[in-house]
Amino acid sequence: MTILRIKDVTKVYEGKVTHRAINQLSFEVMRGEFLAIMGPSGSGKTTLLNLISTIDKPTSGEIIVNEIMPSKLNKHELALFRRRELGFVFQDFNLLPMLTVEENIVLPLTLDGKPVSLMEERLAELAEKLDLTSFLQKKPNEISGGQAQRTAIARALIHEPTVILADEPTGNLDSNNSREVLELLSSINREKCATIIMVTHDPIAASYCNRVLFIKDGEFFNEIYKDDRRQTFFQRILNVLSLLGGGNVGDLSSIRLP
Amino acid sequence: MTFHQFAYHNVVRNARIYGAFFLASLFSVFVFFIYSMLMFHPDIENGFLGNVSILGMIVAEIILVLFSWFFIFYSMKAFLEARSKEFAILLHLGMEKKQLSKLIFLETFLIGTVSIVVGILFGFAFSRFFFMIVREILMLDELPLYISWEPFVLTITVYLSAFILISILSVYATPEKNLIDLFKGYSDFNTHHIYSLPKALLGFVFIGTGYILALLTSRMTLYSFGIITIILITIGTYLFFTDTTQFILEKIRSKKHVYWKKYRMLSIAEQSMIMKSNSKMFFVVTMVTALAFLCVGLLAALSSYTSQYDKMNPLGLIYKGHTDNPYEYSHITSIMRELENKGLSYHMASFEVKKQTSSYTQYEVEVFSESDINSLLFSYGYPFVRLSPGEAMFIPYSEESIKQLSNLSVKTVLMENGVEIKIDKVYPKLIFPSSIISLNSIIVSDEDFIRLTNPYQASPDVEPGYHLFTFDIPQWIETKDVGVAIYNRVSHEYLKDHYSLPYYFENTGLKYSFILSTYSLFTLVGLLVAAVFLLAAGSFIYFKLHTSLELEKKKFDVLKRMGLTDNELKRLVNAYLVPQFFIPLGVALLHSFFAFLALQNLLRHFANISIVKELVFAFVFLMIIEVIYFYLIRWRFITHVRD
Repeated sequence: MTILRIKDVTKVYEGKVTHRAINQLSFEVMRGEFLAIMGPSGSGKTTLLNLISTIDKPTSGEIIVNEIMPSKLNKHELALFRRRELGFVFQDFNLLPMLTVEENIVLPLTLDGKPVSLMEERLAELAEKLDLTSFLQKKPNEISGGQAQRTAIARALIHEPTVILADEPTGNLDSNNSREVLELLSSINREKCATIIMVTHDPIAASYCNRVLFIKDGEFFNEIYKDDRRQTFFQRILNVLSLLGGGNVGDLSSIRLP
Repeated sequence: MTFHQFAYHNVVRNARIYGAFFLASLFSVFVFFIYSMLMFHPDIENGFLGNVSILGMIVAEIILVLFSWFFIFYSMKAFLEARSKEFAILLHLGMEKKQLSKLIFLETFLIGTVSIVVGILFGFAFSRFFFMIVREILMLDELPLYISWEPFVLTITVYLSAFILISILSVYATPEKNLIDLFKGYSDFNTHHIYSLPKALLGFVFIGTGYILALLTSRMTLYSFGIITIILITIGTYLFFTDTTQFILEKIRSKKHVYWKKYRMLSIAEQSMIMKSNSKMFFVVTMVTALAFLCVGLLAALSSYTSQYDKMNPLGLIYKGHTDNPYEYSHITSIMRELENKGLSYHMASFEVKKQTSSYTQYEVEVFSESDINSLLFSYGYPFVRLSPGEAMFIPYSEESIKQLSNLSVKTVLMENGVEIKIDKVYPKLIFPSSIISLNSIIVSDEDFIRLTNPYQASPDVEPGYHLFTFDIPQWIETKDVGVAIYNRVSHEYLKDHYSLPYYFENTGLKYSFILSTYSLFTLVGLLVAAVFLLAAGSFIYFKLHTSLELEKKKFDVLKRMGLTDNELKRLVNAYLVPQFFIPLGVALLHSFFAFLALQNLLRHFANISIVKELVFAFVFLMIIEVIYFYLIRWRFITHVRD
């Protein structure tokens, strides 16, 4: 079942220099899919994520999320749409510094005016699954990067959104924490059948996904599907990347998974 | 690009950042200048307000100066914090600390000079208007605009020195920070929110005790209690903002059913952080605002001194003339006609007063007849005087004299006519204002009064007596336009060395309006000072907001992505801003409320409904200013976080 449909989407930034960030891009995401979007810098990855997360509007084309067309919604409905249908994980976590970890996690539910009992129930469930119990009462500046990103993931999950959007979730983490977070994401994807769209630079991160979509200069370039072994999937990702010709991609070919 | 150009561009191209600082400085220069214009006015030096008011104005001016200095210093500091990232880039590029301070100095100097010049220009332009208002309030014939170097020099000296000193000071006062910390920018989040329970409770206890002491303060304990109260309240307020608020918020946070409700969670968490990191500023703002309230309230209380005035001056109009005063008939008829035209009801009493010499003191006494006095007492509704021949009664000249004279018993002879009298009573109420009658005034029986046929021994050199016409007018405040022509002639004559007119006229309503207008001037000036205080208090908050704007923007960005509706954003901004503005204001109001209760206790004779009315008016006025300011800042804030 298709959960997200991108159809001929074009985004042009007007200004002193007109810039076409996305050009006639079309793809679909199925329910329960874990999709990585890759591409060199300036290829329009973040713009695409902004368009899906409805904080930016496409110049032309259609985006349909779960049978809803966000472009038809007014501002208020859009906010409610984001609140209920989307979950976000950011590169720099974006936890609110004045709230404790547990408060940060339940924030989407409190904003929606859900009862405290529901919040506590879901919080307990997520805290156990994501191993957050030990630092629930701490402030974001007192925990490590990995812990912060796990908190952010819990925040993105607690309202059980249709689609989780992750923007370079491992960008600020060391390799151990990266692996932890990626394994977490893929286990959530498998167990909860959550749809995750992740934008990343990192071929290792991308190799955890079911499918990798490559874009270049705002246009569709290629897509590859996961196979049995992550090792070979990773190698294939690298091959595509070298074809993409971002200039420095050649350096990556020697990388092997540990 | 030279270094000077760099500093210049920094200021001009960052108008938004500097705008608030510039406007705040501009306004304080503006007020200060207008105020100085009034203070140095040649007419004021000639004393149309009396010496007290000049002293008051100087004190107000000094407070204004001290406060402006503090204000500029604080805003400077807030700016430096807000721009730490920019400075980090400059330092990173290899700018010396010396050059940095030079840069800051140049920038401040530029802003300072421009705001001084513009402030004075505006001030001068508006001083004509301001004088017009003052003239109207004081009912002066004219208060001309004048040009003198003093206000200019004073304003320029005070503010220029402030800007220069503070720009130097604020650079050296900021602690050395690592470049990396500067890059990360200003952040409050690293402070862990701890409070101490004893301190939190102490905050409550101190403020509570202060309030109770304020209520218990009496005339006897004024100094001891007053000082203790001030100390308690000051410390209490400080603890209230550092610990008590944290304690209360922490209590709320522990109740999830209250706390985890919609955006309440966010705003309460935010408040606890704001309160912690800005507690010192809130303390200062509260104290300053309380001072402003107190100053306005005190002025309002003074102006309702009227209630007492009424008692001291029981008569509406008084006309006093020589026995052979040729204008008597025409003046009295014209006054009566004017009163009738105005539709004011009145009761006129005429007195024939004879001067005699008392054998007891060898001084002159003024003798009133029993029936004359009774005619006035009738209109007052006071008890009549009944005297037998040989009896006499003192007329009191002040409230205190009633007591003194009541113990006095004098046997004397009115020497000119050999009338023996015994004066052993005093009329228990004030009949005439003290300016009209002499200190030796007595009432004698009608029988004795008729016997006083021989004139005063010193006549004709000294007038042997006078005719007095009193008008008891219930609506005495409305008589200020009655007999103006006579009044003007009298007051004109009064300025001469020798008073040669055969009559004297007093108009209580007119005098009252003069007194009232003097206090109105006070109130006007006080309000101006208070407005500066309040505006500055608001500006403190604005600057503080400005420093955290980047972080706020980021926060709202996250929230918007997570799905925050526009309405919720506005409510969240309200919940963020309202406590910052109105908690200090509320505490200040409470402080001044108790201060006034204490004051009313002390000045019980001032206690009057009219104080309450004026206080409420003054407070509402200040509140309106603050609310307008709040909406202005809220509007700016919302536009910043929205995009």
